Amino acid sequence: MSSKINKLPGIKLKENEMYSLIGLVEDMPQAKYDFAAGTTISKFLQGLKEGKILGRKCPKCGRIFVPPRSYCEWCHVATNEWVEVPQTGEIHTAVITYISTKREKIEKPEVVGTIKLDVPGYRDGEYEFAGLFHKICVDPQDVISGKAIGMKVKVKWKPKEERTGSILDIECFEPL
Amino acid sequence: MRSNIFMKDRVAIVGAGLTTFMRRALETPRELAWEAAKMALDSAGLTLKDIDCVVIGSAPDTFDGMHFKGEYLADGSGAINKPMTRVYVGGGTGVFVPESAYWHIASGVCKKVLVIAEEKMSPAHPHPQYVFKYIWDPIIERPLGPNLIWIFAMEMRRYMAKCGAKKEDIALVSVKNKRNALDHPAALTAANITVDDVLKSETLVWPVNLLDVSPVTDGAAALVMTSENVAREITDTPVWVDGIGFTLENQHWYNRELAFPRYLNHAARMAYKMAGIERPWKEIDVAEPYDPFDYKELHHIEGLMLARPCEAWKLVKEGYFNRDGELPTSPSGGLLGVGNPIAAAGTMKVAELFWQLRYEAGKRQVKKPVHKAVANAWGDLMQAGTVIVLSN
Amino acid sequence: MSYDKRNRMEDLVIFPGEQEVEKYVYTPGIHGLEFAKGLKEGKILGMKCHDKIYVPPKTFCPDFTQGELVEINDEWILVSYTIVYQDMYKNNLSSPRIVGVVKPKNAETGLIHLLNVPLDKLEIGIKLKPVFRPTNERKGTINDIKYFELS
Repeated sequence: MSSKINKLPGIKLKENEMYSLIGLVEDMPQAKYDFAAGTTISKFLQGLKEGKILGRKCPKCGRIFVPPRSYCEWCHVATNEWVEVPQTGEIHTAVITYISTKREKIEKPEVVGTIKLDVPGYRDGEYEFAGLFHKICVDPQDVISGKAIGMKVKVKWKPKEERTGSILDIECFEPL
Repeated sequence: MRSNIFMKDRVAIVGAGLTTFMRRALETPRELAWEAAKMALDSAGLTLKDIDCVVIGSAPDTFDGMHFKGEYLADGSGAINKPMTRVYVGGGTGVFVPESAYWHIASGVCKKVLVIAEEKMSPAHPHPQYVFKYIWDPIIERPLGPNLIWIFAMEMRRYMAKCGAKKEDIALVSVKNKRNALDHPAALTAANITVDDVLKSETLVWPVNLLDVSPVTDGAAALVMTSENVAREITDTPVWVDGIGFTLENQHWYNRELAFPRYLNHAARMAYKMAGIERPWKEIDVAEPYDPFDYKELHHIEGLMLARPCEAWKLVKEGYFNRDGELPTSPSGGLLGVGNPIAAAGTMKVAELFWQLRYEAGKRQVKKPVHKAVANAWGDLMQAGTVIVLSN
Repeated sequence: MSYDKRNRMEDLVIFPGEQEVEKYVYTPGIHGLEFAKGLKEGKILGMKCHDKIYVPPKTFCPDFTQGELVEINDEWILVSYTIVYQDMYKNNLSSPRIVGVVKPKNAETGLIHLLNVPLDKLEIGIKLKPVFRPTNERKGTINDIKYFELS
């Protein structure tokens, strides 16, 4: 193909060319949603409101899932026990963000990442672990230098009266 | 050593077509699909009447603002009054679409299949990125206000920490691919840049910079696939599909090690087993790993077992993956150089391997002789791995 | 296991969400652009594929060859119709609206549009003609045709 054909089909437009097209149609979507958290996550969020991190245990393999799930995907059985897990862990990865969800620049860069919690039941060096994705209150320079990876952290809660039963009841993870 | 799988009829790719990849196209999605499909049919010397079945791949309906995308694209894909299937695994669709056509042919139900992957991202305003807000879990993740680039940045940071790679090393992939794309007629962001340009570009989410990312694109790609007898009547140089693999992981990406794509490894093992390949790093001649971000190419090279875990970044420095190297990767320019219409990008890569294996890639043809090739695509929230192995 | 039946509504957590994309901008396409320009000039264009005519023009024919643009001067026939009493949100309309499928006599496909035909004359097969808005009100959309009425 390529050795014989020079021009492929397709008509490009610049933004102002597109807006000056006759026959252009603009439409505003109007969809609103109500997402139900489900039985398991609802209990997890209530635990967060009380200042606890709850995990769910599989009766067959003994793994404790955080965030909790009502079934174990490896054993294909229902998880049957609520367990309160330690609130400490280590940083698995962390990045510094300069943009918001909508691709706009934010004033103060934030550090976010995934944290591996000190939850028993997982073998050492295993591919999966119990963990959370959240903000991290650590110096951005530590992220760049690599000091943050593997750093031991613990949960920093919002004050009790500000907790509403959402993932944001955890303010961030901070170094021990 | 061939594996013990009984296949009645081999499956071949006999034609391919592509539209230009653009930031914003005049054509409606149907017209994009038609342009690519027509080019593929012409290159195989077939007309629409000859086609038995059609497989369409297109990503979220929310980009185009049209529901029932498969049905909407049907007349542009020639699927009216024919059996039509729509498949979708996010970005993995590009390689999943020829895999789906493989089942149609290998089962004996269809003999000639037209495969189309199309994406029009530009209708979503203010920016197509807003649509990506929907992939996050509404309870556990969305309240934190995440942006899709965060996940890629977190994976990249973990890869850098675990394997000791630096940003300069990873930026070499972006430089290589954008330079390769200068020879591709459909390319959107081909350029001759240096590692410095990449590092000085705007930092979106450290460690990801603007030139580490592939652009929002409109485009379509199409293939014509047939069974063995039909392929031998149409052309002297069919490209055989030796192996396919596809795997899905769960969505809990914060519960797993981010430096190695295990789901891709499973899919690759499945494809290599079918193709009878035991040592991919020696037997594969050219590869098109999926590269929406530059470190992702290294990640996928390791997942495809073309390099040992944590070794790929060292090989890039030596020029191992250049077009004149030992194992050329992304000779087309990949997503970084040509463009990233979500569903069509993977099919563009398969089309590139189709031309490479027939020695028709012109200036992009790799230096060494090629017999076996592999392409992969990745999709959803760090979930889907799809792999296809081709040979001539 | 429905939560409200078991009377545990206080246990259930619900998060509201909204479609984030603010608007969609749809380009008309290759033939669509010509169709829109034609409407602005008071003409309706169709596409000719070998001997068959299709309205509106779609750029490609059913056999994938490129279609040729033609102006439709044929008379229009009513293929089907219906009378609408409520809008999309179930509010009653001030006066019922008649919507019909209209097709040029010698074409394969047609359009849907509003009809301005008295109810006692409404019958499948009647001949119609398009009525355009005044030139300064036309924008190049399907609403440049005000309605179809008896010819």
